[in-house]
Amino acid sequence: MRILVVEDDSEAAMHVSKGLREAGHVVDHALDGEVGLNMAGAGDYDAYVIDRMLPKLDGVSLLTRRRSGGDETPALFLSALGEVDDRVIGFKAGGDDYLVKPYAFPELLARVEALGRRRTQAPSLTTRYAVGGLEIDVITRTVRRDGRKIDLQPREFRLLEYLMRHAGQVVTRTMLLENVWEYHFDPQTNVIDVHISRLRSKIDKDFDKALLKTIRGSGYTISDQD
Amino acid sequence: MFRILRTTTFSFTIIYVFVFAIAVGLLALLFYQNTFGVMSKQTDDIVDQEIAVLSEVFSTEGAGFLRRVVNERAAWRDDGLYLLIAEPAGAVLSGNLTALPPQAVNAGEGFIDFSFERPLLDAAGREIGVETRKARGKIRRFKPAPDADQSFLVFVARDISTREDLRRRTQSNMARIGLATIALGIVVGLVFSQALLRRVDSVNRTAKLIRDGDLSKRIALTGAGDELESLAINLNAMLDQIERLMEGMKEVSDNIAHDLRSPLSRIRGRLTEALKGDAEDKEAALRATLNDAENMIVTFNALLSIARIESGEGAGAMEAVDLKPIAEEMVELYEPAAQEAGFELQLKAAPAPPVRASRELIGQALANLLDNSLKYAMGGTTIRIDIRTGSNGRVLLSVLDDGPGVPAEERGSVVNRFVRLEQSRTTPGSGLGLSLVSAIARAHRGALTLGDSFSSAAERRGLKVTLALPAFGRA
Repeated sequence: MRILVVEDDSEAAMHVSKGLREAGHVVDHALDGEVGLNMAGAGDYDAYVIDRMLPKLDGVSLLTRRRSGGDETPALFLSALGEVDDRVIGFKAGGDDYLVKPYAFPELLARVEALGRRRTQAPSLTTRYAVGGLEIDVITRTVRRDGRKIDLQPREFRLLEYLMRHAGQVVTRTMLLENVWEYHFDPQTNVIDVHISRLRSKIDKDFDKALLKTIRGSGYTISDQD
Repeated sequence: MFRILRTTTFSFTIIYVFVFAIAVGLLALLFYQNTFGVMSKQTDDIVDQEIAVLSEVFSTEGAGFLRRVVNERAAWRDDGLYLLIAEPAGAVLSGNLTALPPQAVNAGEGFIDFSFERPLLDAAGREIGVETRKARGKIRRFKPAPDADQSFLVFVARDISTREDLRRRTQSNMARIGLATIALGIVVGLVFSQALLRRVDSVNRTAKLIRDGDLSKRIALTGAGDELESLAINLNAMLDQIERLMEGMKEVSDNIAHDLRSPLSRIRGRLTEALKGDAEDKEAALRATLNDAENMIVTFNALLSIARIESGEGAGAMEAVDLKPIAEEMVELYEPAAQEAGFELQLKAAPAPPVRASRELIGQALANLLDNSLKYAMGGTTIRIDIRTGSNGRVLLSVLDDGPGVPAEERGSVVNRFVRLEQSRTTPGSGLGLSLVSAIARAHRGALTLGDSFSSAAERRGLKVTLALPAFGRA
């Protein structure tokens, strides 16, 4: 993915850029809002990572201008302001995701990669997902693996659906709590992990190959790659 | 003293007194006109009627009969009617007046007001002095025959002393009442203004003391229960909130210093050591540092959340919220983790009205309480969320466990930031869980209380944490 990072803290920006490059992405970096706006206009990016508070032109205005110009590149806001109202402002400006500082880099990476995927497929049109021998149908809410039907609780189904939508990408615990349970706080204990292990026992236990994998220090992914 | 003249109350009072005085004046004028105007007209009518009767007598019966009638009428001294027949030059021929009033001679046939003196008689008819009477009357000239050169005049007047006396007294009374009204108004205005000024001054004095740095000062309440009182109560509540926020800010900075300084110095020490060591030492130091940094982020996030919740940020998102679905979601979220930790998670929800709340914050509070129970209710088997209606239109949201509980004397302090009970020092956590819940309770204008799950003096009392939240519309 080609990613534009607009962040005025040069050390943080370097850290983010380096991490994203190590994950195999191409990263450009702007230190203020105006430069960021120009670079966004000049380059063809797959995702923007924009700090909300920037010199010269703040992040929300930057994205509002890009959106009014017809630019639909997915964008993630970084912000020290994390209240519900702030998130709403971010989403109204056309942001696709919101991450509150301080954050752990794997969280950022997982979210940026999830954004890039959003662009390549129209998620609302896809109703069936398949990874390895595991298939889910969002309309009939059925799950099969190697043709065998698997019964899931409604919440387990939503959890699996979210993982399947982001197959091959790392999904963090916070992303799961936000998207499956719709709460925006950091899960303190292992609540999400236990849900995952329950799900795993249903979809992976009786099969040779484990599809739902734990990525240490980051989160989870569903994938048939090793 | 002159300041009082510039107060709003005084200005209002003066305006009020002015308007009131005008209204009273108009009323008095109306009354005056209606009484004395009518009375004057009656006097004139009586005089005119008398003259008409006398003219009639003269034209039908002649001068001699007229004179007799006049003399008879004049003999009734007490009906307040004066009659007099005189020569054209004014010499009195007969009647009950001793002289024609001097101005009557030249007055033509219009009304004149005049006064004269007459002896004052006592009940027995003896003369005891002189009294001045006022009267009003008019002249009519008669000629005995069309060709007669000797004419005479009749003067008819009515006594108006009593009426004039009444008029004078009424006028002076009205003037006195008017002056008294205005004076009373001004005095009352001054008293009101003084009272108000004193109370406003007390607010100003308090404000000045606070501005000078003593944030603990509050406006003294008078107990009057009026609008100034409620203003003072509101201002005091505002000051409480400001003081709490200031304290919160101070606490946050103190706590950040406290909780982040130690890991920072630990990191510095470790890195200094690692620089001298070999590759393996360096890697170990880096891993430990990463771990520290992650814990610091957790602490920092928790501190920021508390500060934000306490500052009332996001309170705009408060709406009517049913607690039961949130509790159900949290039970659903925590059920697997609870089972793994050996607890049964229950929900007991009695019907309760919606509360004014943020779903996000209530969810977070419940998650924190469930986290706490999972961590600290060692040896317990059941965690229960309880929803019921309390007194004062509050809805009580409790999390109960059957763990060791918290000794009564330590309950106050566990809510404070960073306080963790001695036996829990070894478990991970920022020590901010309950502070966050407490901040959430305050943000909802609710209260957080800690108690026992079981009332009996059992060995394991369990912990019951209750959030009392105002029902929607009652906050």
